[in-house]
Amino acid sequence: MTPPPSDPAAPPVTGAALAARIRAGELTAVAATQRALAQLDALNPALNCFIDTFPDQSLARAATIDKARADGAPLGPLAGVPIALKDNMCLSWGRTTCASKMLADYRSPYTLTAGQRLIDAGAIIVGKANMDEFAMGSSGESSFFGPTRNPLDHSRVPGGSSSGSAAAVAADIVPVALGSDTGGSIRQPAGLSGVVGMKPTYGRVSRYGLVAYASSLDQIGPLARTVEDCALILETICGVDPADGTTADLPAPSLLATLNDPIDRPVIGVPKQAHDPHNHPGVVNALGDAIDAFVRMGARIVEVDLAHVAHGIAAYYLVASAEASSNLARFDGVRYGHRATLQPGDELLDLYCKSRAEGFGPEVQRRIMLGTYALSSGYADAYYNTALKVRRLIRRDYDSAFAPNDRMGTPACDAILMPSSPSPAFKLGEKTSDPLAMYLEDVYTVTVNLAGLPAITLPGTPTTVDGVSLPVGMQLIGRAFDEPRLLRIARMLELAGGNRP
Amino acid sequence: MPSPRYTPADIERVTLVLGMEIHVELATRTKVFSRAANPANSRAGHGEASPPNTLIDPVVLALPGSLPILNREAVEMSMMVGIALGCTIAERTKWDRKSYFYPDLPKAYQISQYDMPLCFDGAIDIPNCDDRGEPDPMLGFARIGIIRAHLEEDAGKLLHELPASDARGSTRIDHSIVDLNRAGAPLLEIVTQPDFTSADQAVAFARLLRMICRFLGITEGIMQKGHMRFEPNINCIISLKNGRTATTPITEVKNLNSFRSLKGAIEHELREQPRRWLEDSIEFGPGTKTTRGWNDARNETFLQRSKEDAHDYRYFPDPDLPVLEIDDAWRESARASIPELPISRLWRLRKSHGLDAREAIALVEERPVAEFFDQAVSRASDAGVPGDRAGRLVANILLQNGAKRVNERTTEQPTDPSEREEPDDESSTLTVADLGITPAAVGTLAALREKGSISAQSLDILFGLLCDPAHAGADPETLARERNLIIVRDDAAMERWCAQVLADNAPIVDQIKGGKLQAIGRLVGNVMKLSGGTADAAQVRTKLLDMIGVKE
Repeated sequence: MTPPPSDPAAPPVTGAALAARIRAGELTAVAATQRALAQLDALNPALNCFIDTFPDQSLARAATIDKARADGAPLGPLAGVPIALKDNMCLSWGRTTCASKMLADYRSPYTLTAGQRLIDAGAIIVGKANMDEFAMGSSGESSFFGPTRNPLDHSRVPGGSSSGSAAAVAADIVPVALGSDTGGSIRQPAGLSGVVGMKPTYGRVSRYGLVAYASSLDQIGPLARTVEDCALILETICGVDPADGTTADLPAPSLLATLNDPIDRPVIGVPKQAHDPHNHPGVVNALGDAIDAFVRMGARIVEVDLAHVAHGIAAYYLVASAEASSNLARFDGVRYGHRATLQPGDELLDLYCKSRAEGFGPEVQRRIMLGTYALSSGYADAYYNTALKVRRLIRRDYDSAFAPNDRMGTPACDAILMPSSPSPAFKLGEKTSDPLAMYLEDVYTVTVNLAGLPAITLPGTPTTVDGVSLPVGMQLIGRAFDEPRLLRIARMLELAGGNRP
Repeated sequence: MPSPRYTPADIERVTLVLGMEIHVELATRTKVFSRAANPANSRAGHGEASPPNTLIDPVVLALPGSLPILNREAVEMSMMVGIALGCTIAERTKWDRKSYFYPDLPKAYQISQYDMPLCFDGAIDIPNCDDRGEPDPMLGFARIGIIRAHLEEDAGKLLHELPASDARGSTRIDHSIVDLNRAGAPLLEIVTQPDFTSADQAVAFARLLRMICRFLGITEGIMQKGHMRFEPNINCIISLKNGRTATTPITEVKNLNSFRSLKGAIEHELREQPRRWLEDSIEFGPGTKTTRGWNDARNETFLQRSKEDAHDYRYFPDPDLPVLEIDDAWRESARASIPELPISRLWRLRKSHGLDAREAIALVEERPVAEFFDQAVSRASDAGVPGDRAGRLVANILLQNGAKRVNERTTEQPTDPSEREEPDDESSTLTVADLGITPAAVGTLAALREKGSISAQSLDILFGLLCDPAHAGADPETLARERNLIIVRDDAAMERWCAQVLADNAPIVDQIKGGKLQAIGRLVGNVMKLSGGTADAAQVRTKLLDMIGVKE
C-alpha cells in the first residue's frame, strides 16, 4: 500500500486517530513512520527538538507491525503511532544523554518501564527529544546540545525542561511524546507550545529508567495535541511496577472509557493566588475565558485559598536541589560518563572535581551546590527540613480544597483551575542570565509536584505578542489518583474552548 | 605541646569504657536493594569466589535511572536478630542516604538508616566466662544493652594490586581497580551500649553473637570473609591518687574481623590511652574522637583520622524507598521462626544434663548439632534411659565417636589453609549432623550402651556402620545382632577366651604377677579380639585379673 500524499494543510492527525486508521488498514505503520521521519528531517534543523533519531529501527519496527496486521495478529492500542521520548529516559539502544556533556556518549543497557509498555503497545519510538540538562530548566536553553526553538515563533523558547517533546508535538512531527515533570517540566512547555501535557499523580507511572532529577517529585507523563491522546498514552504507561517501590499498588484506571462522559455541574476551584498582578495580560484573559467556559457548562466556580503557594518556589528549589545533589552524585567519572583527563600529581579528589566541573553545565552545578548546602550539617534544619514543613502545608492547602469547606459552605472541588505559567513563551536568552526569573516561570506548577497531585495543561485563549499569536496554557489540578475525573473535566474544557492558536 | 602534669605513678586505677558496633553480612539470596546475587550467600552462586564485577546489575552499578527495591528477606533476618537481642521492632522504619564520594560506593551515597532504625532498645544477658574463657551460665550473667540494629548496604572493594588469579606474574599496577561484587550486600549494624567491662567479655559477646546469628541462619558468619566485622569504641576513666578523675577521648577501631584482633585492639587501647593522656592531657570532649585501624602484624592500632576531617554525611530520607510499615503479623511470624537460642541451650545442657561448659558449648555452637543432640536425647529417653543419664551418654557419643569421624572426614578434604588460621574461626561446616547417622540411631545406641547390651568398642563400630549410606536407616540393635556385637553374657565362652589368652601370653602374665598391672591392657585387647568385640572390656579385665589371681 502506498502512503496517501501528505497534505501540508491537513489538520494534524492525533495518535488515537492514527492508530485507528492503521488498525482499519487505511494507513500503514510504515507510512505513518515515514511521515514522522520526513517531518523530523524537514523541521528539526531549525527547531533542534531531537538529540538522537532512530530512522532505520523505526521503519523496521513499523514493517513488523504491518506484517503482524497482514497476518491477522492482534495489534496493540498504539500500533504504528510514532512517539518521541525525552532524552532522560533509558532505552537499550541509542544514547541516553540527559542533554548533558556528562552523558553525551552514555548508552543504557536497559529500557525504562514506561518505554517498554509503549513498545509493547505498538508505539514506534522515532527519537530522543531535546531537553534542559538533567531536566533542570524552564526554557530548554540549558541543553548541552543547544536550545530547542518554539515551532510557533523560532525566536522564542518552547518552555522546559521537556522542550523537545513539546516542540516535536507542536510542530506535528509526532502526535505524542513522553516528558517528565518535576516542577512543571511537562505542563509549562505544553502551555508555551500550545499542546496538552499531563503530569500524573506521583506513583502512577513507574520512574524505573527515568534518570532521576528529584526522586520525590519526578513523574513521567504524556504530551499530545488532545486530551484523548494523553489518556491513551497514560493508560498504556501507568500502573504498579515491581522495579519502582514508589509506584502505587492500585488497579490501573480506565481512562478512555469514561473520557467523554461530562461531569454534571463540576465544582471548579480557582485559587485566590492565581490572580497574581505579575501575570501577563494574555494569561489574565485566558484564565477569565476558561472560567467563563466552565460557567457556561454549568460548573460551580469556588474560590480556594492555597495560602502556602507563595512559598512553593522556595520550598521546591530546596527539596528538588537537595535530592538532585544526591541523585547526581553518581556521575563521578568512575564507572561511566565524562571523565576528565588528569594531570601528573592529580589525585582521586581531582578526578571527581574535574570530571564533574567539566561534565555538568552551569544550571546543574548551581542546583547541586544549592542542594548540598541545604543538606549540610548545621543548615539542614534551616533549609531542607523547613522546606519539608512548607511542603506538608502546601499538601494540606490542596487537601482542604478537595474537601468540602463547612465554614465557607463550599463543596469539595472536582478540579482546581489556574494558569500553567505566568506568561506566554519568552524570547531565547531573555531569562538565561537571571536564574531567579527563570525559577518564577514555575510558580503555578511546582506546588502540584510538592503535593504529588495529577495535573493537565491545555491550550487556553491565545494572546498576541509582537504581532504573533502565542498559546497560553491553562492548568487543571485533580485529586490524587483520580485521573479519570481530571481527564473528563479537561475534555469538557477542551470541547468548549477550541483554543489552538 | 602542654607539659606533662602527671606521671604513671599518679594513676590509682584505669577503668575501661567500651561499646561496640558490629556489622553482620546477611546471607540473603539477593542483595538488599537489587536482584543481583549476594556474595555473602555461598549457595546463591559462587559467593565470594565469584569473579570480580559479576554479581552486579543496573542498581548495583548505580546506572542512571535505576531504583532500589527493598529485599524483604533482609528485613526478616534483621528482625530475627533484633528479637533475639531483646529489641523493640519498629512499627515504621525508613532508609536514609549517607553521602560521601569513594570509588567503591557507586551511588556516592550509602543507603542506611539514620534516625528510625528497624530494631532498638534491646539487651542481652551473656554468661560470664570461666577461667578457660568459655561462657558458663552457671557463673552468672552480665547484661549488655543494645542501642539499635539497623539494615544498610555494604560497599564494594577498592584494590590497589591485581588479584593473584589475574596477575600473570606481577600484581603491581599504577592505578586502583574496583570490584563491586560486595556493593549492595545487606549489612546489619548492631550498636551496643558501653556496657563491657573487659576485652575478654567483649570477645565472649562477639563469639556468642556470631553463634546466635549463625543459629538463626541469617549469616554464614565466616570471619575471614568479613561476614562479621567489629568496631569497638574505647575510652578510659583514669582515677588519680589525688582523687581527680580524667576521661580519655573515644577511639573507634574500624573493621576488626577476628576475635583475636578485637581483643588485641581493646587491650592495646586500654594500655595506650592512659599513656597518651599523660603525654598530651587531651580529655574526652567534642571533636576529640579519633578513628584508628588495626595492624595485625604489629598487634597495635594506628591513627586513621581525627574528627576534624570527619565527613558531613548529609543524611536525608531516601525518596526512592517508601516508609516501611511492619505490622504485628509480620513481626510475630519473625518471632515464631526463632528457635531456642544458644545461651538458653547452654543453660539447659549445663543444668539438666550435667555437661561441663566446654562440652555444652561444643554441642550448642552449631544449630544442626544442637538439634541433633536434643533429638538423640529424646530417643534415648523414650528407649528407657533415665533423663539424667541420656544427655551424658549422647554427649559422649557425639563428642567422642562423632567428633572422631568429623575429624577424619575434614582432614580427607582439602581445605583452604587461610580459613583455618584461627581455631575459633572454624569455617568448616561439617558437623556430626552431616555424617549420615540419624539422631534416632544415636539415641538407640545410647540406650543399648546404658543397658549393657553393647561394649564401648561395639558402639564405636556400630556408629561407624550407621554413618555408612549402606546402613542408612538400619535399626542399630538388629545391626548389632547381625554383626555379633551384642555383649555375650555366656560365662563359658568368656572363660574359654580368657584361658586361651592367658595360655598364649605366659610372659605377660608373669609381668602382671610381678606387679606390672598395666600390662593387662594387652590381654584385654586380645580377649576382645577373640570375642569379635562382643565382650565387655571391663568384665574381661575383672575376669582376667581374677584368673591370674592378682588383686588391684
